[in-house]
Amino acid sequence: MTAFAIETNGLGKTFRSFWSGREVRAVDGISLQVEKGTTYGLLGPNGAGKTTTVKMLLSAVHPTSGSAHIFGRNAALPEARRHIGYLPENHRFPTYLTGYGMLDFYGALSGMDAAARRRRIPELLAHVGHDDWAEVRLGKYSKGMLQRVVLAQSLMHDPQLLILDEPSDGVDPVGRRQIREILQSLEQRGVTIFVNSHLLAEVEAFCRDVAILHKGKIVLQGKVRDLTAGKGYRLSVAADIPEKLRQSLLTGAAAFAPRETFLDIQFHERSAANAAIDLLRAEHIEIEALTPTTSTLEDVFIRSVDAQ
Amino acid sequence: MPNSIFIATQAIVVDTFREAFARKIFWGLFALSTLMIAFFLFILKIDIVQGATATITLFGAQTGANVDPGQVVRKTQAGIATFLYTWGMFLAVFASAGLIPSVLEPGRIELLLSKPVSRTHLLLGRYLGNVLVVGGNIAYLVIGIWTILGLKTGIWTMEFLIAIFTTMFLFAVLLSVVVLIGVLFESTALAVMIPTGLMLISPILAQVETMDRLLSSEWSRALWRTLYHCLPKVYDIGKMTMDLVMGAGVQSFTPVLTTAAVGAAVLSLAIHFFGRRDF
Repeated sequence: MTAFAIETNGLGKTFRSFWSGREVRAVDGISLQVEKGTTYGLLGPNGAGKTTTVKMLLSAVHPTSGSAHIFGRNAALPEARRHIGYLPENHRFPTYLTGYGMLDFYGALSGMDAAARRRRIPELLAHVGHDDWAEVRLGKYSKGMLQRVVLAQSLMHDPQLLILDEPSDGVDPVGRRQIREILQSLEQRGVTIFVNSHLLAEVEAFCRDVAILHKGKIVLQGKVRDLTAGKGYRLSVAADIPEKLRQSLLTGAAAFAPRETFLDIQFHERSAANAAIDLLRAEHIEIEALTPTTSTLEDVFIRSVDAQ
Repeated sequence: MPNSIFIATQAIVVDTFREAFARKIFWGLFALSTLMIAFFLFILKIDIVQGATATITLFGAQTGANVDPGQVVRKTQAGIATFLYTWGMFLAVFASAGLIPSVLEPGRIELLLSKPVSRTHLLLGRYLGNVLVVGGNIAYLVIGIWTILGLKTGIWTMEFLIAIFTTMFLFAVLLSVVVLIGVLFESTALAVMIPTGLMLISPILAQVETMDRLLSSEWSRALWRTLYHCLPKVYDIGKMTMDLVMGAGVQSFTPVLTTAAVGAAVLSLAIHFFGRRDF
């Protein structure tokens, strides 16, 4: 019995043009281990290979190297997908389906019998706030409504693993909060949630583990808590301080950035921040603000991508 | 497991019907069939006189006396079978051509593939649904006309009903070509053009003996024979259907067997390419 919901070993995909023979390596031998019951974020800039990775997990794209397993089963086997709920990015549904009809169809494809579907559909529609829209065709739904009903679709068969590709895309703040609450309740029930998103703040707030993908390779992975643990202090002073003093301040600083009429100076160590304060006070220069800081996931992301 | 396969198959078939309804494909074919049935209901009047002889009125004009009503009924049925086999087939292919590319649209196919259903199952389910949409209309049309002719003449020729199976059989073969084109190119236009081309070229290719005499080189005769044997024998099966409806026997089942083999091979290729594609 495996401890991982998702496990990939050297998973890679090279797209080859039929006519020119030109090759593009979209995913370059990535190895992921997503523990059961965790919330996992896959991050990366556009074209990093995130969607190709997700599609390989679902067997919509065939890997050219390596392997992928879902709950210990080869991801290429249909049975491996029995416990997956999937919310695709840029989904397109036939407009002839109603909300009820769509849930009924995808529930049946997941192997649910008619009685189970009849029980489950009203529950889910109420859960995402669409109980009044059950018999309305999907063509009439707004983008946010559609996103919520697609989320309901992914939950139809009570999956153990939820793969979400940009789950908040096109959803207003209220809807976004509602989706987050649904996902949190699933997390509490032990469902593994794998999120592919470009919304770093959302991933930081929701996910326990992350991997950052860049140019098809994993450049960083770990626990969000550990990755964002880098503490420091930010000192804000007027930007028009004497040049000599400015140079002295920056000597012990980790980073600095002008902001409107201020200069923000970042220090890793408390002693360096105190030394800078002593210098400023000796020159009778007022300190605008002193703020303890932690590293955000966005900082980590930008540093990781820039380092490549 | 077998239960979930049945549930999924039923869902795919029902979804194909829903799409055929929504795109007005089903209703279009149904309306044309109904129109044709109504047409026969009104234009045909046969009065049986003294057993085998009758007067027959078509479009209000009497065609003559002392004709065999059985022969008239068979000839009428053969004419309808020919019409159904040619124009009906074209309409059915035309109407069905978009049903495969539509499921391959980005945003739709990924979600289908994320379900615990094999690609072969998805494609065959869609294929079956499509055959049933068209088959239902073929059966409705043939049985409708057969009933009207039977009620009006009292002559019930079971052979006409064979047209349901031969027409559905040929549609299933041509649909396998539609599916292959759909999987390879996702083009509705190509999916119409190629089966239509096969239908048009078939009567020409069927003249194998004549062409053996007319063609001068051995390679061109070999090419002709190869094409004839490797492509669906639309013309031969059509002729066989007419013979059966007219009450004549079948000389050879070879065209049916070879056409079935071609259909199975093309459908297998479609499954193969669908299984290998990235979406």
